Amino acid sequence: MKKKLVLLIALTLTLSLFAMGCNDNGGEQGAFPNGNIQIIVPYSAGGGGDTVARILADGLGDELDVQINVINREGAGGELGIAEIAASDADGYTLGVFGYPDNFVLEHTRDTDFTFDDLEYLAAFDDMPMGIFAGPGSEFETIEDIIAYGEANPGGITIGESGALGLLHVLAFSDHLGIETSPVNFEGGGELMNAILGAHVDLASTSSMSHDPIMDGGGHPIGFAAAERMDMFPDVPTFKELGFDLEMGVSRVLVVPAGVPDEVKTVLTEALDAIGNDPELKERFENAALPYRYLDYDRVNEVLQRSNDTLLPVIESNQQRFE
Amino acid sequence: MDSLQILLGILSPGVMLVIFAGVLIGIIVGAIPGLNGAIGISLLLPITFTLEPQIGLLLLGGIYMGGMYGGSITAILLNVPGDVVAAPAAMEGYPLTKQGRSKEALYYSIFSSMFGGVIGVLILIFFTPPLARFALQFGPAEMFFIALSGLVVIGALGGNIYKSLFAVFFGLFISTIGVDAITASQRFTLGNINLRSGISVVPVVLGLFCLAEMFLNIGKKANEVVTYKEQNITRMTVIKEILRHKMLVFKGSMIGTFVGLLPGVGTTLAVFLSYGEAKRVSKNPELFENGNVEGIIAAESANNATVGSTMVPLLALGVPGSPTTAIIAGALIIHGIILGPSLFVQRPDVAYTFIFGMMMTVVAMTVIGAFGIKYFAYILKIKMEYIVPTVLVFTLFGAYSLRNNVFDILIALVLGVVGAIFKKTGVPLAPIIIGVVLGGLIETNLVRSLTIANARQVSLLQYMLTNPLAIALLAMVCVIFYVVIKMRMKMKSM
Repeated sequence: MKKKLVLLIALTLTLSLFAMGCNDNGGEQGAFPNGNIQIIVPYSAGGGGDTVARILADGLGDELDVQINVINREGAGGELGIAEIAASDADGYTLGVFGYPDNFVLEHTRDTDFTFDDLEYLAAFDDMPMGIFAGPGSEFETIEDIIAYGEANPGGITIGESGALGLLHVLAFSDHLGIETSPVNFEGGGELMNAILGAHVDLASTSSMSHDPIMDGGGHPIGFAAAERMDMFPDVPTFKELGFDLEMGVSRVLVVPAGVPDEVKTVLTEALDAIGNDPELKERFENAALPYRYLDYDRVNEVLQRSNDTLLPVIESNQQRFE
Repeated sequence: MDSLQILLGILSPGVMLVIFAGVLIGIIVGAIPGLNGAIGISLLLPITFTLEPQIGLLLLGGIYMGGMYGGSITAILLNVPGDVVAAPAAMEGYPLTKQGRSKEALYYSIFSSMFGGVIGVLILIFFTPPLARFALQFGPAEMFFIALSGLVVIGALGGNIYKSLFAVFFGLFISTIGVDAITASQRFTLGNINLRSGISVVPVVLGLFCLAEMFLNIGKKANEVVTYKEQNITRMTVIKEILRHKMLVFKGSMIGTFVGLLPGVGTTLAVFLSYGEAKRVSKNPELFENGNVEGIIAAESANNATVGSTMVPLLALGVPGSPTTAIIAGALIIHGIILGPSLFVQRPDVAYTFIFGMMMTVVAMTVIGAFGIKYFAYILKIKMEYIVPTVLVFTLFGAYSLRNNVFDILIALVLGVVGAIFKKTGVPLAPIIIGVVLGGLIETNLVRSLTIANARQVSLLQYMLTNPLAIALLAMVCVIFYVVIKMRMKMKSM
């Protein structure tokens, strides 16, 4: 009797696993959306990009009155997941959320299966500038200290980074300051935080999201690569005011594969505008320490194009660093 | 909020229910090959967004704690470790099951997990600030020596020395596949995009341990493999026996604690270090891999001890050192809770409820484990012809769910065949796992050390040995190396 019971349980579990795999995706008939929508996130659960996707899945799902599932497809620094978004059916049932310019940097530093134009950018939700931070007890108080030391010791300053954008930021920062530095790669933000708080590297190149933990650990920011001072951190200078025209940051975008029918796109952009201009979404982002900035369809395409034009020369002049 | 209120809050029925549910889910996902605590936590992450932060955290913490234990159940009963960290439990526990001592092995596993879990959480409660500061001392040089000590420990694991060497090089080879993190050059990727991010340890373990075992079991009758025997052994006997080995429990928990503190190192290394150490000090090293409870005690106390200590850098510094803690950090971020020293000042309710509540996760794990054992053992009564397909399905599903990637299933299948061949030819599997885990760690930290040494214009050796901690770790590596060689010589002469 018990044997049969155990068997039955095992069978049910097995079958339910198969059932989980069969996602009812894409009702072809009727007006969009008519069925579950999925958001592919090319990073693991728990990070900033994942948090954005989950907040959006919640808000957009309510607005469209459908279930939206978040699927984490991490790997190869986001390349695997972005390639999958680009290759999925352009029916509006597969969306993607990731941090621009990851796709752009990957495209120009590797032999990727996607290009910038394989995706259509429907909206952007935050604007998180990159920054340079010094660890506890660092001899670098200001950007002048860095320049002075860097000029006297070419390559003598170690800057920790994690990921392609972090490295790009180190290179651009060094170019603007006219010094040579030594980037040190870490696998993810946790390891980078350990390295800067433990003074194993001189500086860290990471986003403004690391501001609070680094300050808590006794470190301090040198500056942000932002257009203007951030509302969240009004005391941190921008590189611009320090005399260096450097702007670089992450912006979480919501994309669909290129070729989605116009009427589907309209439904999505209208829903995105509705939640994007709602103060509730802003509050949820700011609660999660994400600096909110909503860009609608027209503005996001304009802003990304401008950003591409400034990033490309930096990538090209440092191409050998990525190979 | 004072401490009494926090304590009463934890003991309220609702919170206890969440803790028990979390632990139970953890044990189940831990026991199912391929699923582990990290996957269980990411599945339940969305639920925590609607709960109060401390309650959500305890749910995830319960899964984490239960998951560390759950893997040993299937490891002991079926020789299929439910999780990477349960590999030693399979190596020692399954031989015991074959001898009809499965119940005993399961009792050793749960109570060793209990002791490890308690020690880990006590350390979390009492030593978080100093240990977090200590963990920051570990830079690239120190991490390099830690990883090296893991490689040296393989020597103690036993088996033919040449086959062990082959196994570790095979593991190191697997770890080199993918885009090199430092120079971004591709290695052995054969132009395949899926191989660019490398092969992670989970499909390797699923293939080598779970699939290989099932492949070899195909066609066998249930009683051909193991028979279930009712054993007259009480819980108290086992607890007393474990307390007789209190040095082993203590060392296992300490190894788990310290390795758990280090970001990016992972629990697997802690488990094998502790297991190797148990074998080194054992009076009967020849019994290892033939069913020695000392191996179970060492490995299981170590993996549950890491649960508390991996939270130390997370809570005190906002440094998530493992995939699991990174997801837990995500659960906090979405509630707008900033991790780091200010957590204990700004949200003491969350911080203290969580760390004291973690003690209750150990209690829940012990209760479920100790009283569930007679039900777990029913697995052995199921015929092999049902076990094999069920485990195969779960394993393949587990391989897929790691990154939602079909390619990982392929990797698991290929390594399943490789593992079956290795098992038949006596190539030990544990060194392969250690090689996969440590290869990347050794390489990236060596390259980081080189970059920093270059920048500071000192030689690599000068840089690596500036810190007294690094020198101490190097000395530790040398001592382990010496001891392992001596042990090998002694075994030869026996």
